[in-house]
Amino acid sequence: MQGYIYPNEFELQWSLLIVVYPYLTGLVAGAFILASLARVFNVKEVQPTYRLSLLTALAFLIAAPLPLLGHLGHPERAYEILMTPNTRSAMAMFGFVYLWYLMMVLLLEIWFDYRKDLVVWSRGKTGVLASFRRLLTLGVTDLSEDALRFDRRAGKLITIIGIPSAFLLHGYVGFIFGSIKANPWWSSVLMPVVFLFSAIVSGIALMLVIYFFSTMLRSRPVDMACMDKLGSFLLYALIVDFSLEMLDFTQRLYEAEESISILGQMLSSRLVLSLIILQVLIGTIVPLVTLFLVAPTVRKRGFLKVPDEFRRLLYFVVAVFIQIGIFSTRWNVVIGGQLFSKSLRGLTTFKVGLLGIEGILVAGAIMLLPLVILYILVKVVPPWPDAEAVVESELTGADPVPAVQPS
Amino acid sequence: MARPFAPWRGFAAMPQQVRRLAVVIVLLVAAYFTARHFLVPRTFGEKGHYRAAAVDSIAVLPIHYAGREACAMCHPAEVAKKAGSFHRGVSCEACHGPEAAHTTDPIGHKPTAPRDRAFCVRCHAYDPARPTGFPQIDPVLHNPVRNCFTCHNPHDPTPPRPPETCAACHGEIARTKAVSPHAQLACTECHTADPRHAQAPRQFLPSKPASREFCGRCHASDAPPPAHLPDARPPKVDLATHGPRYVCWQCHYPHYPEAR
Ligand code: HEC
Ligand code: HEC
Ligand code: HEC
Ligand code: HEC
Ligand code: HEC
Ligand code: HEC
Ligand code: HEC
Ligand code: HEC
Repeated sequence: MQGYIYPNEFELQWSLLIVVYPYLTGLVAGAFILASLARVFNVKEVQPTYRLSLLTALAFLIAAPLPLLGHLGHPERAYEILMTPNTRSAMAMFGFVYLWYLMMVLLLEIWFDYRKDLVVWSRGKTGVLASFRRLLTLGVTDLSEDALRFDRRAGKLITIIGIPSAFLLHGYVGFIFGSIKANPWWSSVLMPVVFLFSAIVSGIALMLVIYFFSTMLRSRPVDMACMDKLGSFLLYALIVDFSLEMLDFTQRLYEAEESISILGQMLSSRLVLSLIILQVLIGTIVPLVTLFLVAPTVRKRGFLKVPDEFRRLLYFVVAVFIQIGIFSTRWNVVIGGQLFSKSLRGLTTFKVGLLGIEGILVAGAIMLLPLVILYILVKVVPPWPDAEAVVESELTGADPVPAVQPS
Repeated sequence: MARPFAPWRGFAAMPQQVRRLAVVIVLLVAAYFTARHFLVPRTFGEKGHYRAAAVDSIAVLPIHYAGREACAMCHPAEVAKKAGSFHRGVSCEACHGPEAAHTTDPIGHKPTAPRDRAFCVRCHAYDPARPTGFPQIDPVLHNPVRNCFTCHNPHDPTPPRPPETCAACHGEIARTKAVSPHAQLACTECHTADPRHAQAPRQFLPSKPASREFCGRCHASDAPPPAHLPDARPPKVDLATHGPRYVCWQCHYPHYPEAR
């Protein structure tokens, strides 16, 4: 503690779990937007990550409400916000935003995309997995040309609805913070937009890591065209994100409201590590410079000629740095907003615990859980391009076979 | 030729996917409304976003507090005494605890009286969040060990002699002013306070600076150094050009450290 704070500001009410929550939803929105880019704009290079991104988004979305449930402490009452919707509370509408996104966007898109494969994979097989896949087809086994075309078009339509929905999902999280009038660190109309772009950055970076890692694990060659494209997308998103944050920052400096001096003190004492070093330096400047130098953007080969093996390693390291940076961003928003007193005259301190529901262990478990879910999803519906079923045509009478039997 | 109305035909003509999904969605929506039917309390939303019957279920809870007026019938002396003094706004039961049972059976249920120091300190210990003018003491320094009621009658706590410092009731202002540029100025330098302000604060409000010239007494470029503060060197500004059209404390609140 330093300076003067009100008695009820000594302890932070929103702690580690509330940091984890926007971090997770950000990854959901980001991963989904990457998939949508691949689909709507038909970016060939990143096709290998399309299905993987969808599954990642789903895995993280399933885990996203857990920090909230843990924080509120009464998971058994969670259904009540759905039963008695309160349209005047942004927080209470979360359940619907979440459900819309889960049911009407992600699951539907995944279903349409995988239906053909599910049919082929489960055809003529017995066993738990095959029966489960058969159940997932909802009995729609039609593999005619028309039906497949319908799948593709429906999928595309959902993607188009999905982009604004993903914006809604994460913009909504920013909105909650941005609309807290009493808190000068949060209250800003730019908040939803900044959240959104940092989400896109984190999502692309996450897909880079997951793609790289999963290909390595499966000992398949890494598709460098894909990595390069992801790298350049990452650069663009990072530039927009950074400019927005700088805009927000300059605006605050220029407005110089009465809060500016305490926020300045907070920046130069409490947030040095998490904001200046982790968020800005490690999470933004270093990735920006590295990507600018090696990713093929303005020039076809990037400014520095770097051998493929080294370049993909650089991408990987940059993506990990960005994850650290984005996590710090969430930390700085959530924790930073509670470190200074509303009297604008003092700062409190925050230490995370190890045990307890708001401790590091629980938060860590919640952040690892999506990877476990992803592992299971990948087993049920393999996203790899080489596992995709090829349907010659129903009409030829030949039994369609997957190119490679999924394991 | 008009076709007979037969929506199921249109449905049957739709792709299989749409039909199956429609069934699933209809099932889910039906499940939602069925769940709502059973899970939402009957009276929910009748009066607002809550269960209206909650009011009734709270109303049948046993009553613990008798209320302010209930005591007057049997304890007119205490009521009259309290009404004329500082604790007029503090209800009897705030100190004596819930006494509904005592009002119906005065002998059987004797109320307790909070006689230890720890009790009064709940309201009177120094806490910056308390409103300005609220009397506060430092429990460690203020006449330690002896119980409060030995000097302050709880029903008329008027101190044996009026508080001498303004800090007794304006603790937060005193503490911020102490680290401000005006630390060496007494409160009375800028506020003329009637001595009776310390006994009946709201009836005798002190004055407050009202004009730019007030601050100019010390800060105008031609102001003589304040006679009673020989070492003070108040910085000078030109009243005519410095922040015109505003009163000084719109920019420099003189109690605050950041007045500069
Ligand atoms: C019906 C009349 C009646 C009402 C109403 C009543 N009292 Fe009393 N109260 C008494 C009587 C009689 C005594 C004296 C009991 C004794 O001395 O044994 C008493 C005693 C007390 C005492 C002193 C107990 C002690 O240990 O000496 C307190 C304190 C008290 N009352 C508080 C209250 C408060 C507070 C209320 C209002 C909520 C209240 N009373 C309402 C009749 C009443
Ligand atoms: C600020 C707290 C406070 C409030 C408010 C308060 N009392 Fe008391 N009361 C006390 C304390 C402390 C004592 C014990 C005093 C003592 O032992 O000398 C006491 C004693 C009494 C007694 C015992 C008789 C006596 O004088 O010793 C009665 C009766 C009583 N109070 C009634 C009331 C009634 C009626 C009211 C409301 C009009 C009231 N009190 C409001 C704190 C309070
Ligand atoms: C429920 C809170 C509460 C409790 C408990 C309480 N008081 Fe008070 N006290 C007040 C309020 C309110 C005032 C009036 C402040 C004002 O005038 O603005 C006051 C005023 C006073 C004053 C007047 C100081 C002055 O000169 O202005 C004294 C002395 C005092 N209380 C002593 C006590 C003692 C002794 C006790 C314990 C028996 C006690 N109080 C318990 C709320 C409380
Ligand atoms: C030895 C007698 C004595 C005792 C015991 C005592 N006070 Fe006082 N109190 C005084 C006197 C005298 C004043 C007024 C002069 C002053 O400012 O010290 C006063 C003033 C106050 C004031 C007005 C603010 C102030 O600082 O001037 C409050 C509030 C107060 N007392 C509360 C309490 C409380 C609460 C207790 C018990 C924890 C208590 N007193 C115990 C004698 C006492
Ligand atoms: C017994 C407690 C007490 C003491 C001692 C006291 N005040 Fe006050 N003062 C109050 C209260 C209560 C108010 C009214 C606050 C309100 O209305 O919000 C007040 C209000 C004021 C105001 C504001 C008037 C206005 O118009 O808003 C000033 C200025 C002031 N006091 C100055 C002083 C100075 C200077 C002293 C010392 C000489 C002093 N007070 C001592 C209780 C006290
Ligand atoms: C340098 C001059 C100066 C000194 C010294 C000073 N004040 Fe003030 N005070 C002011 C001015 C100016 C205002 C604001 C008047 C207005 O807003 O109209 C004010 C307002 C107040 C108010 C009412 C508004 C509020 O903030 O609650 C209180 C109470 C008060 N002063 C108490 C004090 C006390 C107690 C001290 C001593 C600890 C003190 N002042 C010392 C200049 C001074
Ligand atoms: C009795 C003389 C006196 C009066 C009246 C007075 N001041 Fe001051 N002021 C001083 C002194 C003495 C200093 C302290 C200079 C130092 O030593 O730092 C000071 C310092 C200041 C400073 C800090 C300047 C700096 O940069 O250090 C400001 C701002 C200020 N006063 C504003 C005001 C305002 C506004 C008022 C009218 C409400 C006012 N003063 C009334 C004597 C006075
Ligand atoms: C519109 C806002 C504003 C108003 C109104 C205003 N000031 Fe200032 N004052 C400032 C600023 C900003 C500074 C610091 C920049 C500077 O030194 O010029 C300052 C500086 C000062 C200083 C310190 C000068 C020094 O040399 O260190 C004093 C003393 C002062 N003001 C007194 C006053 C007085 C007395 C009044 C009322 C007659 C007043 N101010 C009205 C904004 C204001």
